[in-house]
Amino acid sequence: MGMRTEAMRRRRTTRLSIAAIAALAAALALAGCGNRAKDTQSDSSGAAIPKGATVIDFWYAIGGRNGEGVVKLVDEFNASQSKVHVKATYQGDYYAHATKLQAALVAKNQPDVVMLEIAQVGQFGYSKALADLGKYMTKDEIGKFQEGLLKNSYIDGKFVAAPFNRSTPILYVNKTMLKEAGLDPAGPKDWNELRTYAKKLSNKEKGVYGFEVPIDIWFFEAGVFQKNGKILSEDGKKFVFAEEGGAEIVRLWQQMIREGGMKVPPGQDYNAWDVAASDLITQKVAMMMISTASLSGLIAQAEGKFELGTAFLPAGEIFATPTGGANLAVLEKSDAKSKQAAAAFIKFLASKDKAAFFSEWTGYMPVTTEAVQAESIQALYSKHPQYKTALDQLQYAQTRPMIKGYREMTVKIQEELKKAMYDLSISPEEAARNAQAAAQAVLDSIE
Amino acid sequence: MAERIIPGPGARSAARLAGSALRAAILVAISAVFVFPFLWMLTTSFKTLGETIVFPPRLLPESWKPENYELAWKNGRFPTYLFNSVFISLSILACQLVVVVPAAYAFACRAFAGKKLLFGLVLCGLMIPGQATFLPIYLLFSELGLIDTYAALIAPMAASSFGIFLIAQSFRQVPLEIIEAARLDKAGTFKLIARILMPMAKPALITFALFSFIAHWNDYFWTLSMTTSDAIRTLPIGVAMLKNVENVKSWHVIMAGNMILVAPILAIYLLASKYIKTAFTYSGVK
Repeated sequence: MGMRTEAMRRRRTTRLSIAAIAALAAALALAGCGNRAKDTQSDSSGAAIPKGATVIDFWYAIGGRNGEGVVKLVDEFNASQSKVHVKATYQGDYYAHATKLQAALVAKNQPDVVMLEIAQVGQFGYSKALADLGKYMTKDEIGKFQEGLLKNSYIDGKFVAAPFNRSTPILYVNKTMLKEAGLDPAGPKDWNELRTYAKKLSNKEKGVYGFEVPIDIWFFEAGVFQKNGKILSEDGKKFVFAEEGGAEIVRLWQQMIREGGMKVPPGQDYNAWDVAASDLITQKVAMMMISTASLSGLIAQAEGKFELGTAFLPAGEIFATPTGGANLAVLEKSDAKSKQAAAAFIKFLASKDKAAFFSEWTGYMPVTTEAVQAESIQALYSKHPQYKTALDQLQYAQTRPMIKGYREMTVKIQEELKKAMYDLSISPEEAARNAQAAAQAVLDSIE
Repeated sequence: MAERIIPGPGARSAARLAGSALRAAILVAISAVFVFPFLWMLTTSFKTLGETIVFPPRLLPESWKPENYELAWKNGRFPTYLFNSVFISLSILACQLVVVVPAAYAFACRAFAGKKLLFGLVLCGLMIPGQATFLPIYLLFSELGLIDTYAALIAPMAASSFGIFLIAQSFRQVPLEIIEAARLDKAGTFKLIARILMPMAKPALITFALFSFIAHWNDYFWTLSMTTSDAIRTLPIGVAMLKNVENVKSWHVIMAGNMILVAPILAIYLLASKYIKTAFTYSGVK
């Protein structure tokens, strides 16, 4: 009797739970289809959208504190007027964002404004995905941007990308260590000085290196430019760096590694940057190169430990630097009204106070000349002159390659360069030629 | 005078003791390899930024900072992300069980035309990586106007080749006598599955449920690709947003976010471990 009721009870529970699962699944299928996240009354952050406002989608690609700065500016813009409402959404880092954008363009559900890492401007610009902002902005409005930041903004003579969060690589130095070694705390001026400084600052017993640089396309481009060379031929069809400084920068790095003066940070992409940054803070390295965008964090961390200085990238034959960070672009597929609205948003971000605010908040450069003159920026420069280095270095800025698929090519170049850093028997010429051939193969496969 | 050495009971137990001590030491060493990263994550989530990159590294913070969790929680919309993570992972699991169990039964216990071919197709699904099918599915959902909906996050995952394969395999191991005995007792298909096959395939079912839940809980790529607004996004994206690109990363806050992300999974595992063990020792015929 007892057995039987137990069995019945169990049977009932089993049947009940299976019925529940089936019901849940059916409910989900219905709920899922009906539940669109996009509703018209309020945006994803819960803010109300004014009636009749043109709503534009803005995709951005920087997280953390810098991303908070973006959100603040968007909120301010939305509160400042009622004609345009910007819906801002984070879409992963620069590369995830670009991939999403590619998929969205194919599926025709692209946003209106996007944040393109500057080397991506060519990729989307030459596929005619970007709108000509010159139609919505006057020459004067475009002329306000710093000239050095406009090198990756034009496609076929059209202004398609407005500078937003922009940087250059700079040399960070531990001034305290340089002084102790009897060196000029302002840092090395050229490649020869860099080499001697690095050698002198290294201490094998303590595991301290003089210099550290991520083996990254950015610093390789810088090296080629500093030897007055070019990465690409004028027509963008041939890689030419092997004979134009590519071998020289590899030779310099190999020499410094051989002399025990240089450390190669392990890790891919930004992971290597993080290693370089923490090595500087823990005083395991005296000089290193990463972006000026790390400055605010590094100043805070160095405080009380050592005196942090910044300097231009040391000159080869000339001073030279690529620029970095991202530009804002509007998509060609958006309708005219949305394009107009997007341009109004971009103009708002480029206005004196807003550009100054964003620079101060993040450590990126002020993108317009008038923002440099803003009181808050001038006050910042007198308190922390390190912020001015990137700005002054802009006069030596050079254009980064702007071709389709450049990201894939840079991955190949970096692979070959890294091989030569770990295997010093590979000659600089051979490493540069291999890198060039690998990149050219990708380029040829696209053409 | 040579003394004959006879290993007494004392010597034998000493040898046994040494043996079990050695075994314990090896087990501790192996588990340390797995536990240590989590321990490091846990302590880092209570450090100051300076302590996260100090050299030589220290395991414990000088003073514990629970406010890191508040910083992580307030960055973005963590309550929404948490709800979505739970809702989406559980919905996927529910849909999968509804599809997978009957399919596994059909493949394991029924004879029908084209069975081998269809099972081969299921196995193909197991072998084709998600990256290859991503674009067609994305375009399909875009055509249907379902990008940025829960449907786009749940529906494509509603069937699982891995699940069908795993559970069909374990259904096959159920002795035919038991199935025939059940049929003789006039058990219907539904009853057969629910009362005989499923309890006997418990290890496989629990393993599959955990695998599925963890995989979709952790999923970053699909969720990021299919969504364009924060309202339906999940925890892994929230954690990724804590990263400061190009600037010094706030490892303490990122690790606090990671703790929020992994804590539910660890809790489920700890709660379920008892059942998993009994499930794995369960077998049909003694």
